[in-house]
Amino acid sequence: MSAQTKAPADWSGVILKAYVALFLGFMFLPILLMAGAAFNANPTPSALDWRGFTTDWFTGRTDEAGRVLVRGLPQETRFLQGLKHSILIALGVIAISVPLGLAGALLLTRLGGRATGPLYTALVSPLLTPGIVLGVSTMIFWRDAFGVQAGLFTAMLAQSCFIASYCMLMFMARLQRQDRSLEEAALDLGASGFFAFRRVTLPYLAPTIVAASAIAFLQSNENYNTTFFAIGSSWTLVTEIGARMRFGVSPTINAIGVIFILLTVVFAALWAFSLRKKTA
Amino acid sequence: MGEMIRFYGRFLTGLILALVAFWFCALILMPQISMIQRAFHYEARDGAAAQAVLEANRLQQRVATMEFDIRALEREVAAGGAGAAPAAPSPSNPFAGLPSPGAPRPGFAPSPGGAAAEAPEARLERLKTEREGLTASIAGARAEAQRLRAEEVAAQGWSLRNFTLMSPLHWRIFGLTLVYALCVTVLSFLVCYPIAYAAAQAKTPRRTALLLLALTIPYALNELLRIFAWTMILANQGLLNQTLDALGIIDLSQGGAVRWLASNGSVFLVMVYTYMLFMVFPIYGSLETLDRNQIEAAKDLGASSWRIHWRVALPHARPGVAVGAIMTFMLAVGSLSVPQLVGPGLHPDWFSQIVNRNFFESNNWNVGSAQALLLLVSCTIFIFLVMRIFRVGIREIAR
Repeated sequence: MSAQTKAPADWSGVILKAYVALFLGFMFLPILLMAGAAFNANPTPSALDWRGFTTDWFTGRTDEAGRVLVRGLPQETRFLQGLKHSILIALGVIAISVPLGLAGALLLTRLGGRATGPLYTALVSPLLTPGIVLGVSTMIFWRDAFGVQAGLFTAMLAQSCFIASYCMLMFMARLQRQDRSLEEAALDLGASGFFAFRRVTLPYLAPTIVAASAIAFLQSNENYNTTFFAIGSSWTLVTEIGARMRFGVSPTINAIGVIFILLTVVFAALWAFSLRKKTA
Repeated sequence: MGEMIRFYGRFLTGLILALVAFWFCALILMPQISMIQRAFHYEARDGAAAQAVLEANRLQQRVATMEFDIRALEREVAAGGAGAAPAAPSPSNPFAGLPSPGAPRPGFAPSPGGAAAEAPEARLERLKTEREGLTASIAGARAEAQRLRAEEVAAQGWSLRNFTLMSPLHWRIFGLTLVYALCVTVLSFLVCYPIAYAAAQAKTPRRTALLLLALTIPYALNELLRIFAWTMILANQGLLNQTLDALGIIDLSQGGAVRWLASNGSVFLVMVYTYMLFMVFPIYGSLETLDRNQIEAAKDLGASSWRIHWRVALPHARPGVAVGAIMTFMLAVGSLSVPQLVGPGLHPDWFSQIVNRNFFESNNWNVGSAQALLLLVSCTIFIFLVMRIFRVGIREIAR
């Protein structure tokens, strides 16, 4: 950095730093507030109108006779049922979208030629389609063509449609870095195509399969817009939170948020730990 | 294809092709086709024919009640003498003395006073002539209903009516939603570009990692919880109003709360917050590859920092900005959660809320499909426009 331009450069640096600090506040303030309200005895979620510390929103409170005094998470059976649905759908989505994404990636990286362009566009198009359209079209198709009513199954398919595209992009990124000569060598040594794939390519892709499954699980659980339209009268944890937000909020929603944050921190820590172990 | 078979063998190649075919056909193409089919298929509901049928049925009901009255009167006449019978219901018909069921209509309903004034025989005659007239008009109404129905059936099927019959209000909302989504996209870019730049050009990799981690953590919460957190701030008794109260700008105890929720400003703010990562990460991704020496060189040559961004950093970030804009616009235009949850009572609605209502409240799937198709088409056009303006290809977009 030369002397005569030092001053203006510093100024913009200071502004940038201040902006980053402001931005981080903007990111975290809502979340801190939400977490705070989960421990507030006030039945209207608020971190400011403090009425004493409580964990009732997590545990619920019943008297000796078993009557419910405070409706906490154990009493909110629809949330628990929704969580079960969410996990069920997410597992289905993993089972569908990881193989589809892998197949798409293999086809696109190996096919070559003129067909790849349009095929690539077609297979990533769900990522660029509004979730509302994916949900609606899946619901219509399965009802009109097969008489299948909207429910967990259609929600699973609607989500898989675009989550498979995410998986495909992840697999493609990995496959593009693959050293093809290993596969060639296996084939030259007389391995069948299937054998070479199973013993060379698949082990190479294993970390991506894990990562793609994790992304698929998270994306599936997080999704609202597509799921809302495709799920019919059933519900997941997220659509139930949405319904609850429209018709009377309760700090149990905050309690769920806190649990999500804790889970994230734990998983992030575990992940960081495993990375450190690997590099050490 | 030959190379694939050589690589993977026939079985595996077949499996790969089958999976991709299933994905493309069953999950992507066919659902879209069904939706488009519905969008261009007009379905007459609550139209003129349905109303004519309703009218005919109403007439039919009136005749039925009239016949009931006539029979009661006939019995009354047969029993002989007015005045005694109406008060004492005959055993065979305990309701004979009561006003006829259904809403009494002027001209034939026997109000207690009127019945006393009119001789039963005369009333019987009057009712009978009225019945004749009504029966004749029922036939007319039915014929009219059938004619209208036939017209509607003829109109049903392939047509543009789902679009042309959409009310001007809905078209206006559609246009406004596009404008809103564009606003969200621009706002999001303005908010996110400096952050992406700071992350990409941070002095040490450690700081980059920390900044990116800080960005990702809020995204571990799902979208709805992020929205929920904001509704707590923007609520009438929320943080924002309480802060303003503490600063003495407004007075909450006097009911001076500012209604932040249910305004487009709030929806924009929450959308920017909710979909920020889709803007930050693509821009970060392209700025990361920008050689810092280029910026240093520009500085040494005396460029102002504004000029450096405009001439060096932004052109380099072009593909990232394009991706971010496309993703943000797509998410904003199709977002149901934010307008629905931040703005209950928002007026006018966002287009996604109208689609939602057509599917789940008025159960009008074909019109809903037409509207969803409009969203899809506008997103596609937006993508092409952005690709043209930013001169990027599809390969660069989906990464």
